[in-house]
Formats: sequence, C-alpha cells, structure tokens
Amino acid sequence: MPAATVTTSPTPTPLSFPAPIFAALQPSSFLRAHLAPDSPSQPSLRANGRRPSEFRKPNINTGSLTHSHGSAVVRIGDTAVVAGVRGEILLADDIPNPPEREKRDFDTNSTRQESRGSGADPSSKGGGDADADAEADSLAHLQLLVPNLELSTGCHPSHLPGSPPSSLAQSLAQRILSLLHSTRLVPLQQLRILRPRARSSDLDDEGDEMLDPDAAVDGDGDGKVKGWEVVAYWTLYIDILFISLDGAVFDAAWGAVVAALGDTRLPHAWWDADRECVLCEEDGAQARGLGLRGCPVAATVGVFAPGRRGVVGGEKEEESWMLVDLDAFEEGLCREVVTVVVDCSGGGNGRIHRVEKNGGGAVGMGRMRHVVRSGEESWRNWAEVLGELGS
Amino acid sequence: MTDRRRINPPPGGTHPPIFASTLSTPSALRPQRPTRTRQPSELRKIFLQTSLVPSASGSAYLELSPSSPPSAPPSSAAYNPSALKLTCTIHGPHPLPRSAPYTPHLHLSTTLKFAPFATRQRRGYIRDAAERDLAAHLETALRGVVIGERWPKSGVDVVVTVLEGEEDGWWGDDVGGGEGAGGGGKGIGGGWGLMSVLAGAITCASAAMADAGIDCVDLVAGGVAGVVVEAGRTTKGKGKSGEAGLGTVVLDPCPAEHEEVRAAAVVGYLAGRDEITELWVKGDVGADAEILIEKAVEAAVSSRTVLVEAVREAAQAKFIQPAENGAAVGSKKGAGSATADVVMSG
Repeated sequence: MPAATVTTSPTPTPLSFPAPIFAALQPSSFLRAHLAPDSPSQPSLRANGRRPSEFRKPNINTGSLTHSHGSAVVRIGDTAVVAGVRGEILLADDIPNPPEREKRDFDTNSTRQESRGSGADPSSKGGGDADADAEADSLAHLQLLVPNLELSTGCHPSHLPGSPPSSLAQSLAQRILSLLHSTRLVPLQQLRILRPRARSSDLDDEGDEMLDPDAAVDGDGDGKVKGWEVVAYWTLYIDILFISLDGAVFDAAWGAVVAALGDTRLPHAWWDADRECVLCEEDGAQARGLGLRGCPVAATVGVFAPGRRGVVGGEKEEESWMLVDLDAFEEGLCREVVTVVVDCSGGGNGRIHRVEKNGGGAVGMGRMRHVVRSGEESWRNWAEVLGELGS
Repeated sequence: MTDRRRINPPPGGTHPPIFASTLSTPSALRPQRPTRTRQPSELRKIFLQTSLVPSASGSAYLELSPSSPPSAPPSSAAYNPSALKLTCTIHGPHPLPRSAPYTPHLHLSTTLKFAPFATRQRRGYIRDAAERDLAAHLETALRGVVIGERWPKSGVDVVVTVLEGEEDGWWGDDVGGGEGAGGGGKGIGGGWGLMSVLAGAITCASAAMADAGIDCVDLVAGGVAGVVVEAGRTTKGKGKSGEAGLGTVVLDPCPAEHEEVRAAAVVGYLAGRDEITELWVKGDVGADAEILIEKAVEAAVSSRTVLVEAVREAAQAKFIQPAENGAAVGSKKGAGSATADVVMSG
C-alpha cells in the first residue's frame, strides 16, 4: 500500500501522522493524495492498493448449507455474504386470485422434457417476448420469490441487532426482488408442479369439481383429455445474511443470490391423488436445477470528486475519479454511485438489465459508456468464477 | 402476520416439502437412523478461527464437523446430517449513549440469532424466546470472565449468528418414523440441540473476546454432556427407570444419534481457575447430577484445547507477522510502506 506524501511548502515542520489517522481525519484528502500522487512516476492507486478500475475477485462456495436447496457463500474482499434458497410448496388452491394464464392447460411434453433436463441450458428460453412478459407478470403476481436480506448480524458496527431492518436493508431486499423479476432470471415453468387434468367423467373426485369450471372455460370439458394443470408452485425463500461488510453491498448480495439460485436443486415433486397432497422424491439424482436465464451481474461504480461539495452539476469539469467496486471507506466518500446490471452470457453483445444512478451529475453519456464497460469487465470476472462452479 | 419491513411470502401460505419416502413404515426408516460412532468421551472435531470480520473489534467462526458422515453424500435431497456452524462478532467497548444510566462495569449485551436457513423448519427473522434465552445464558457465561471494572460507562455488543444449528432429534422422529421404535420416542421436552448451540456459542464468543482484546480473567470454554438411552438398552432401562443409572453419559451428544436424551448439561468452564460461570442442566438427571456436570466440564476442557490453539494462532498472526512485514517493506524501500507516516499539510 503506497502512502502518498502531500507537501506544499517546506517551511514549518508539518504535522506527521500515521496513515490510518490521516485517513480518519481527512478521508477525502487521503484518497485524493493516493489517486493523484505528487511524482508522476507513482501510479494512481486507491488507498486499498487497487487501480481505480480494478475489481476485486469474488470467491464463491456453494452447497455448504445442509437445510437449503441451494446456497452460496460469496466473498469480495472483506465482504462476506451467505445466501440460502429454500423451496416450499404453495398449493394452487390456496392462491386467492391466480392469474388467468395459469389456469390454462400445459403441454406436458415440453415442460417435462425441460424439467427433466439438466436445466442449466440457457437455450430453453422458448416462446416469444410477449410470452416471457406474461410469464414474468405471473411470477410477480404469485409472489413465488421471497428474497430477504439481513444486515444486523453484527457484520458492521453501524448495523447492530436489536432494531428493525434498516432502510438500507429494506431497500436492498426490494431492489433484489425487482431485479429478480425484471431479469426474469427464474423461469416460472420450473416452479410449477403439474398434475394431469382429470376427465370430466371423473366428477366423483371433489378436487376436480372445483376445477371443472376452468376446464369448461378452456373448452375441453368434452370428456376427452386432459392436458396438465398446475396443482402447486415452489416458493423460493431466498435469505441473504451478511457475515462481514466492507462495501459492494449490492454487488455481493446479488452475486450470492445468483450463485445460490444456480446451485438450487429442487426435488422432483408430484401430486398424490390418494393423499391429496404434493409429495417429493427424496432421491437427489432426480432433483433438478432451476435453469436460470442468463447470468446477470451487478457492478457498482462510484465517482470520487473531492472538489465538489454539494454542488450538483458543478460549474466546470473538476477533477474526479471513477472508482469501481468500492470498499467501505470509499463508499463513504463517493457521493455519486452508479450500479449497472449487465449480462453478456447470450454471446455477442451484452445486455443491460438495469442502471441505477444517484447522487450527482458527473456521469454523463461518455462516462456512462465507461461504466457499462466496467460492468462488462465485472461480468467476465464473475462469470469465470460462476462458470467454474457449473462445470 | 405480515411484516411490512420485509418481503413476505405469498398470502396463500406455504409448507415445506413432504417426502414420499418418509410416509413409509417406521421399520423402513429405521436403518437410516444415524448412530454414534464416536467413543462416549470423544468430541466432534471443532474448527475455530478468529478475525473474520475486519470491521468488528473481534470475531470468530466455529464449526463442528458432522459426526456421522453419510456414506453416499449427495444421494438424498431431503435429509443430510447437519453440523453446527456459528459466527460471533464483538463490537466495542464503546461509550454508552448519554441516555443510558451510569454503570461502573462494562455493559455486556448479547444477541443470538438463528439464520432462517439454520434449521429444518424455516425460521423467522424476529428473535423468538429460545434465542433470547440462549443469549441470556451466553451473557451469564461471559460476564464471569470479563474484567468489567476496567471499562466503566461502556458497552460491548456480542452478536452470535447461527448459520446452521444442531438438530433437536432425528428427523425420522418428527415425521413419525420413530413411533413404536423401541418405545423411547423423543425423550422428555426437546430442544436438546440448543444445548450444543450454547456450548458452541460460549467457546466461539470467548475466542472473539480474546480477538477483541477485552480483558478477561481466563478463556471460558463451553462443554456439553448428556444422559442418553441407546436403542438396545431401552427395554432394560425402562424396567428400572427409577434407579440412578438411567443411561450412558456421553460427551458432546448429537441428539439425532440417540434414541432418547434423558438429560443434558452445559457448562461454561474456566480451566485456569477451576470455576464454572454458567451451568444449565435440563431433563431428568436423577441422583447423579454431579457425574453429568463433571462430564460436561471434561468436554469443556477438551474444547478448550482447540480454543487455546485458535487464540494462539490469532495472536501470532497479529503480533508477529506485522513485525515481519514491516521489516520486509522497510528493507525494500521505506517510501512505499503502509506503516510510514504521512505528512499532513494545510
């Protein structure tokens, strides 16, 4: 970690401090002194020794939790997150207002094939865009994804337990939920549990009487067959716990969610007509993955502008630095923060899923390109680690 | 019950998956019951590491290895043996807020929380009574070792997060597989897993205390011992249940491995001073409670060796390595060293 020496005039002997004290007293000048060293021979490095556009390499472990269907531990620098995904069953009859789309018949062949397949192939996109939109709407309506995030695990002195979830925790959970829906990461078809729709002659079964009107609506109540109907859904509880917090909160949490969902294996489930409940197969070999669509990765870039003090859209272009993958110290100094979520897994050009920007006007068109490029770099960074898990 | 600060599950209500194999007869499930392969006086392997959370003044992570590793690990989608995993972070000592009343001693506040994925049944985010109770026990154990007089008007937060808890019994008993299997059933009460969690939390918190550099009279180590009734002896034991010798006393019982746990004891023990700061006995011990407590102390002494080793390693990393690093950097070039002073101007 190279320290910077800031000397203006050699006249009086200036105060001399160890680096940590300087950082605590004058954090902004401390970081600036690192980024703009006096001698041009010294490289522009941040206080943590990284270049401004250098990401920390994530470290991912999956499958370490026993009671989850999928789990991941993600470490980025000193930030450590544990995410666990647990599937529970929601019966279709218990849903107050199911979406109309979900009452239709399902083609068993296609769903079965996909559900039995390895699940990890992104080629299972199928359908048109409108179809995917409708599916995403249904997924959001059914509330099958329940991400929650806990910061008060003692991970940082500013988030001690004993109080309700902070607004940061609430907003992070909400952002993860909306991103899960807008990226359409989890295909709804993998969460459906189907059963054969009964013929209308089997009216003695009371469960079918309730569902008979639907059959009439669908126009196949003519005694033939049948198709498959949804009897239940898997609900995924995604619990994210921060063990240690040192910046990159959203990036780490989202990475943990993606890794945990990628690790998730839901047991094979079917409707047992005799017991009138959904049963699952214990055999782990029959469990299937979620077949995630793509691999979106979040990257956060902060703008460190020591000259600006509360001036929005300052008069002239002042010196500022774009710092990627902020640590906790830098997060306190960067007023303007941009988060991009990109996915380059489709091959060719990447896709931007989301851009969130707040805190100032330093990032214009040109700089936004730079941000997106760092997002792509971050994606490659993550994809390397996530890909190792998949293989 | 909706919690508007969190994201709620669908209003229809969900239930955990039911596995078809668990609906078969108890006799079919019985072979899956794990058995204790350790000696009665042998503990599970403990992994303990300190200084995981840099922003905390002290932290530690403790893990117990699963005692009976399954022969074919990923075969079951449903039931795998779990292992205790917990982290402890310590924040402080920090000044108490002005509104707090004057205390001449260090004010300890302990929190213990199970992660939602820590147990077979999903847990909520709001602390329940069992967690508060464990936190109170932990506080008792720690208050006895901390030299509180050195920090008047200050507070320390001890936060324990249980990532994976000890199970309260074999899962087969919960799904009905244990019924009629020797008449033992689940034993009296339940919550035996909490005893191991507490012992682990005490050991882990003690390591974190040492990591935080808070003055203590000694390292406190947690130990558990239990009176268990084995499957083969159940019928015999039932006949003379009035007697003192109810079952075998084992160290570090894993409740899933035993047909019935009659009683268990947790101690927080200071080996250097031969003192007990925390004692919790649960169940029907009969006349020989002392034997049980002695065995729990024995377990604490064994876990202390791991604790001492972890603390020593941490201390070496903290105090010896920086000196070496400093020397290395200094020899390279003084200008680039992190420890070099920075001149501040203006």
